[in-house]
Amino acid sequence: MRSQRLPRLTHLQFLVLGLLRSGETAGRVVREGLAAHGVKRTAPAFYQLMARLERDGLVDGWYEQITVRDQAVTERRYKLRPQGMKLWTEARDFYAGVAAQGAAARWSDA
Amino acid sequence: MPESRLRRTLRSLLPPRVRDDMFDPAAHDLDADYARGEQRRRTVGLVLLFLDCWRLAPAEVLSMFLNDLRHAFRLLYRDPGFTLAAVLTLTLGVGGNVTVFAIVNAVLLRPLPYPNAEELVIIEHRDRRTGITKGFIAAGDYVDLHTRQEAFESIAGYGTLRTIVYGEDEPEDAAALMASAELLSILRMTPLEGRAIAPGDTRAGAAPVVVLGHAFWQTRLGGDPAIVGRSLNIVGPNGSAVMRQVVGIASPLFRFPARSNTDLILPLPLPAEAPAVRKSGWTFAAARLKPGVTIEAGSTQLAAISRQMEQEHPTQNEGSEYYAVPLRDATVGETKAALLLMLGAVGLVLLIACVNVANLLAARSLGRRQEMSVRAALGAGRRQIAMQLIAESVALAMVAGAAAILFASWATPALTRLMSESLDAAALGAVTIDRTVLVFAAAVTLFVIVAFSLFSALGIRRDTFAGTALSPTRVTTGRAVRRATSTLVAAEIALAIVLLAGAGLVLRSFSNLLSVDPGFNPQNVLTLEIIAPADRYRDVSARAALQGRMFEAIRSIRSVTEAGSAAVTPLTGNNWTASFERADRPVPAGQRPPDVGWQAATGGYFRALEIPLRSGRYFSAQDGPSAPPVVIVSETIERQFFPGESAVGRRVRIGDGEAAEIVGVVGDIRRAALTDAPRADMYFPQEHAPSIGTTLFIRTSGGPTAIVPELRAALRQLDPAIVMRRIETMDDVTRESMQLTRVTLWLLGMFAVSALALAAIGIYGVMSYTVRGRMREIGTRMALGATPGGIVRLVLADGVRIACIGTVIGLAGSFAAGRALRSLLFGTSPTDPWVLLAATGVLLLTAVVACYVPARRAGRLDPVKTLAGW
Repeated sequence: MRSQRLPRLTHLQFLVLGLLRSGETAGRVVREGLAAHGVKRTAPAFYQLMARLERDGLVDGWYEQITVRDQAVTERRYKLRPQGMKLWTEARDFYAGVAAQGAAARWSDA
Repeated sequence: MPESRLRRTLRSLLPPRVRDDMFDPAAHDLDADYARGEQRRRTVGLVLLFLDCWRLAPAEVLSMFLNDLRHAFRLLYRDPGFTLAAVLTLTLGVGGNVTVFAIVNAVLLRPLPYPNAEELVIIEHRDRRTGITKGFIAAGDYVDLHTRQEAFESIAGYGTLRTIVYGEDEPEDAAALMASAELLSILRMTPLEGRAIAPGDTRAGAAPVVVLGHAFWQTRLGGDPAIVGRSLNIVGPNGSAVMRQVVGIASPLFRFPARSNTDLILPLPLPAEAPAVRKSGWTFAAARLKPGVTIEAGSTQLAAISRQMEQEHPTQNEGSEYYAVPLRDATVGETKAALLLMLGAVGLVLLIACVNVANLLAARSLGRRQEMSVRAALGAGRRQIAMQLIAESVALAMVAGAAAILFASWATPALTRLMSESLDAAALGAVTIDRTVLVFAAAVTLFVIVAFSLFSALGIRRDTFAGTALSPTRVTTGRAVRRATSTLVAAEIALAIVLLAGAGLVLRSFSNLLSVDPGFNPQNVLTLEIIAPADRYRDVSARAALQGRMFEAIRSIRSVTEAGSAAVTPLTGNNWTASFERADRPVPAGQRPPDVGWQAATGGYFRALEIPLRSGRYFSAQDGPSAPPVVIVSETIERQFFPGESAVGRRVRIGDGEAAEIVGVVGDIRRAALTDAPRADMYFPQEHAPSIGTTLFIRTSGGPTAIVPELRAALRQLDPAIVMRRIETMDDVTRESMQLTRVTLWLLGMFAVSALALAAIGIYGVMSYTVRGRMREIGTRMALGATPGGIVRLVLADGVRIACIGTVIGLAGSFAAGRALRSLLFGTSPTDPWVLLAATGVLLLTAVVACYVPARRAGRLDPVKTLAGW
């Protein structure tokens, strides 16, 4: 099996981009998704992370007005960019490859 | 406060990126939470959000700044012309400062090699009647000062001695410290092996002992620890070689005084009780202040004891005053003023360099206004643009700072070599770019960063935010920018004038020093110290015989025309004095006779140095040991003490009841230094009291150093045990006495020339920049009939106006700065009109030349082309 370079994404970035794979999502929802995986971040810390992903060209972010209980509020929404998708796929393949290699090694030990 | 206002206020208190990237989306989420029914007070939520943003802000701002810094480095790389000019200019400024500071650090700041060295003082003597100061104290007064004082832990006598250690090989020259037992205690010297000098070692009749210096023990005795307890044959202070038992080895690096080597430490015998003739011997004295006692309090007590001694012994102590000087000041001497002056001067060069680079930045910002406008149009705020400009300043200063340290590491050894003859050689050996110097370099670089950042931030024009992306063909210079750059150049010229005037004053002092007649002719004179073994020439007749044979041998060398000897070499700072009293007009009882300069010399000394004989005769063989005592006086003594009569044939008292006849009057000489006024001097014949250690003065018909091999051979033949040292020409002695002024002149001159060049570049840059900004105006003037000559005059007048304003301010600064120079000036005043006039002339001429090129370019503008671009 050819050797693979380590993924360029951190675990947290991998998780965020993974959550965005399903399509454009509100920041609040992504943050809740992280919390479901046990990653608690304050709102400013979460948006700091998202701003860096935006600056690196991995996600697009914009404001959108929505209505909550008849009140107009603004929320920040995000969607994955092709570069983000590419890096996430690379990272996923890397981990999958490592996992497959580990499984093969266990069989040979047995 | 309403919630919306609180939100706006909190938002405005955050850095832009934190506000936009973190606060805004999080605050919107907060809105949504409240819409969904969140119960907590919204103001509390906003404040918590704000605090959280601030928690995260530092990392965000730093990352932002690092991005800006990367961009700034890219910009510097893309604009090599600007980068080279700015970095070279700043390297000169910062590097010059770091170089001079490295020496200041080594000489003035680095702690002296003694624990709590700030408590150590040297006690000096001042004669209130003549103002003459001495770095040592009378042995009789030492005893009383030592017992009566309470401000010091102890007062310790010491002295230095060039001595000889006789071994199996050739006799070795060694530097000895003569120390009382207290000296090593107040210096906190703990011996590496054995013991230090003990009180019993300094008593009369005590067994002779020696403590070896660590380096001497290592290099000359092979570091043998078994040496302690053995004996060495060492010449003592009385000139006799005796076997001294080695009782200890000093701690490594111990030396005292700090500017000398200490090869050996010998006990210094001092009287336990004050002798009747209190000023018959002198000793250096050091002391350590008791904890909590200031040096002022110590000096006050010394002055009080001096007054007591004056009342108790008026005939010997009238006008005698003792005071304490910090050990560092006594060690560094007058070089402190010169070094601080250098630091000030190089600081001015840095300011000029900064002004020049600020001008370069201004000129560059003109070309970048379009870029800035585009950035503003794309949403960059004033603060963001300022941050970018600050990052550019930081990048520039970082490159310049690094280059400056490289420059300093090259320039420091060069400057050290230049200053080595006039500064503390021991300290200069350790001039390094150490941590203190690096911190200083960082501080200077930070100053540069702050200066440029302020300049850049203030320079952001309001029209950058007017929403118009300017066309490069429509570049104009705002009046405010023009005024700012003109002000900077005027400041630069003012600073350059200060440096030029300073250099001019020192140049004038130096030229005055060169033209001083020392009263003797130093050309073609060789001088050297000789020491003969005292045990072979114990009695006076043996010494007189040696002296006679020695001069006979020296005079037989071809090209030697005259030879003599004396105790004191002129121009080496020696201030030894003797009391002067006419035998026929004794000083009234209870009064102390005045002091005059003391010298012991042979008749050949006057002939060798060509000190003119005014009347009477020089000393000769007829003044030998058995002859009645005679003296020679200088013409100032004759004028002062024998007004209207001849001094020759008169008698002076030279001791208790003894009188000597004045046999000659000679011309005055500059005794201690060229800057000293000629003083009254009295000469005692070395023919009468020949010494085994003396200084020879040999006049030759050709180059004096050429006779050294023959001289060495002649003295060897006379007695192989005679040691010769410090062989130099009197020209060298004279040159060394002017070394501090020469080095100051060199450095100030270098700084002044740099300042002049930078000022010329500055004024050239500003005029080019102004012409570029006034192209439309000049084009219009030419279209309306202005001649090229008229345009040249217009531009020149502008430049000269700036130069004149700078000159006036600079002249005012020169008056103030001249005061700092006063201690280094000779024969000129800090406000010498000729010097100030010359500095002004040089600078105005430079300014006109620097303005002429852009002025001529303006005169050649084609009005059609210029206006077509409008």
